[in-house]
Amino acid sequence: MPIVVLRSSMQVNFLDQSVKLTHMDEDRISDLPHSIVESILTRLPIREAVKTSILSRTWRYRWAMLTQLVFDDDCAYLPGELGPPKDTLVKFVTRCLFLHQGPIHSYKLSTSFLLNAPDIDQWILFLSRKDVKELILELGEGEWFRIPSCLFSCSKLTHLELCNCELDPPPTFKGFTNLRTLILHQVIVAADAIESIISSCPLLENLSLSYFDSLAITISAPNLKYLRLEGEFKDIFLQNTPALVAISVAMYMTDDIAEHFEQSSSCKFVKFLGGVPLLEHLIGHVYFTKYLSIGDYPAAHSVTYSCLKVIELYQVSFEDPKEILVVLRMITNSPNLKELTISGSSLATSDYTATTSAATSDLEFWEKQCPWGCTLGQLKSIRMSELSCLPHEMEFIKFLLRNSPGLETMHVSPSSYVKENVIHMLVELVRFRRASAQAELIFENE
Amino acid sequence: MSEGIIAVIKPEMKSYIWLQTVDGSIQQVEQEVAMFCPMICREVIQTGMGSSKNYAILLPQRVNPFILGSILDYCRFHQVQGRSNKERKTFDEKFIRMDTKRLCELTSAADSLQLKPLVDLTSRALARIIEGKTPEEIRETFHLPDDLTEEEKLEPLRNISDDPRIRLLNRLYARKRKELREREKLKNAEVEEERVDERSVDDLLSFINSEDAGYSATVTNSVISVDAKGDKTSKNKKKNRRRKDQIDSTSNKDEENIPKELDTSPSTNNILEANLSRAVKVQDFSSGTFSPKLELDDGFMDDDLDPAMKEELDREVEDFARRLNSDQHFVSEL
Repeated sequence: MPIVVLRSSMQVNFLDQSVKLTHMDEDRISDLPHSIVESILTRLPIREAVKTSILSRTWRYRWAMLTQLVFDDDCAYLPGELGPPKDTLVKFVTRCLFLHQGPIHSYKLSTSFLLNAPDIDQWILFLSRKDVKELILELGEGEWFRIPSCLFSCSKLTHLELCNCELDPPPTFKGFTNLRTLILHQVIVAADAIESIISSCPLLENLSLSYFDSLAITISAPNLKYLRLEGEFKDIFLQNTPALVAISVAMYMTDDIAEHFEQSSSCKFVKFLGGVPLLEHLIGHVYFTKYLSIGDYPAAHSVTYSCLKVIELYQVSFEDPKEILVVLRMITNSPNLKELTISGSSLATSDYTATTSAATSDLEFWEKQCPWGCTLGQLKSIRMSELSCLPHEMEFIKFLLRNSPGLETMHVSPSSYVKENVIHMLVELVRFRRASAQAELIFENE
Repeated sequence: MSEGIIAVIKPEMKSYIWLQTVDGSIQQVEQEVAMFCPMICREVIQTGMGSSKNYAILLPQRVNPFILGSILDYCRFHQVQGRSNKERKTFDEKFIRMDTKRLCELTSAADSLQLKPLVDLTSRALARIIEGKTPEEIRETFHLPDDLTEEEKLEPLRNISDDPRIRLLNRLYARKRKELREREKLKNAEVEEERVDERSVDDLLSFINSEDAGYSATVTNSVISVDAKGDKTSKNKKKNRRRKDQIDSTSNKDEENIPKELDTSPSTNNILEANLSRAVKVQDFSSGTFSPKLELDDGFMDDDLDPAMKEELDREVEDFARRLNSDQHFVSEL
């Protein structure tokens, strides 16, 4: 019987096998150390990494030893798969996990599809047995996926990031003893559950909570260094966070919360910034300064922030003397402040005449309550933006210029809603006395 | 010592480190450049080696003189403090433009010298080379041996491997085999014809699946090697019947049992292979396209069957092709 052989142009015939053998010593990549091969395969999208399994015998299961797995919606569109993309994704992830060998250190799943709970449950169970250290789940919006309890038995977790799910720790949960980073974004969880998770993770350094509704939270984390909060918070009490270095807060407010604030008597400033002596960088957005001004009283500002170098406060309302006072106190209690960025509230009225009359009486506070004679010796850079040429804004700038002998640059830019007052603003600015001879006043007007 | 005298005469001369590569050659390198490599730095500090030609630091085996030159160029550029990130990036992009063999050697050498930035750079470059290529292209680029059997290539990673030609080949082969079997049955006794009529698609599937292994063992991505041994024809015919009997009795079981059959019937196919070689015209497959001659052969064979048979055949092939893709995915490694 004839032996019939078909080959493509690349492999000519059987005899070529011997020729191929002599070329084998040219294969350099297979001999690279395992760590480098893993590093190369990790930089490929997971589909491409899995494809290397049909390259040659040595490569057959190399991808299966990868310790970092990233699955995203690209895996839902495999050529030749006939089912809906959601099913393709589930099949692909399941198969990859099933074929995987060795530990998995990092697992990321990022999908916009609403996956079935049993599939994700199984994957998390699988990962909990593989000593997973980093777990990132970004699930599709809509139905909130309820995290299974096996997640809480991932004792080696150092990094946990959850998005769009529901978290309910079992009563027996003692905490993640190795957890350093916790990021919860749009997660449904009870306030006391979060508090207990946070306080039971002794090594927690990095905490980010975003898009929570009406959350009142007490944070106790002795090693916490970086804190990021975004959402509607009724109350934030940093009870035990002495190691905090950087804070970033974006505070949104609903009418309910506004009402709550009006009735509240506790001093938010003390509860928030009362116990952070090592703070170096503070960022506040939207209603943060308003939040801080609630329940404020002069003696509340006894703490000196000697490490605080950068303050960024956005959407400060310069129509509210209480907010301005809070900002002033913060600045004056930070002797080593280097950079200051303040942006005004675009909600300010653009009717200049109206604000002048209303604010005249308030201007007295600048003479009475303002701490003159305070020196911001380290302040080098100031940025003021979204200004509406309000009297308080002008007084504020005046105050800064007068008390910063080391100032190098001051950027001022008006809000785009107040075009007609720009000249007036400039006229005033030019008059202000400057303590620093080399200060540059840069006016940015688009 | 000559070095000592030189040092006295020209005190402003830079200090050098002496490095010896595995082939025995020794070269001297400016100290700040050599110390950029953590491994060399450690050697100098811990053991004090490298200060003279006789005490040259022995570099790891993976560093040959040519690669050492490249690495030192890299170190020489990056150890200068004042360069901007953009400058460094531009240099890096130009630096890694080399053939893949050298790139692999460079990665290996940089790793043995613990020069992590360079290892990262070369790893990124290698990943970029691999990304987007087909397996053949990757094999060609890196001179990898194509030493997996076809069976191993096709399972258990079908459709994860993402090679559309394998799947298409599968389908065509299944169709061919099926048609051959039909022809054979028509030639054989009525018993088999009855069988054809009685069997459900499941039965046909199981039978075809059992032959699948044998065939795919001889199929590469772009190769169909058909091996026929004529002297075993009669014996194999008997074997075939026995196999068919076996399969018939087991065909009522769950389809998931089919995988067991795969490995137990490697030799049933010789007769069919012989038929195939006669029926299918031999041709080269250029990468990615299938020769239209196969389609002609389809037509040739279909003329032998009556139209009703043909319709059933077509329907079953389509059904089979669909099932082949969905069911075979669960074949695990055996």
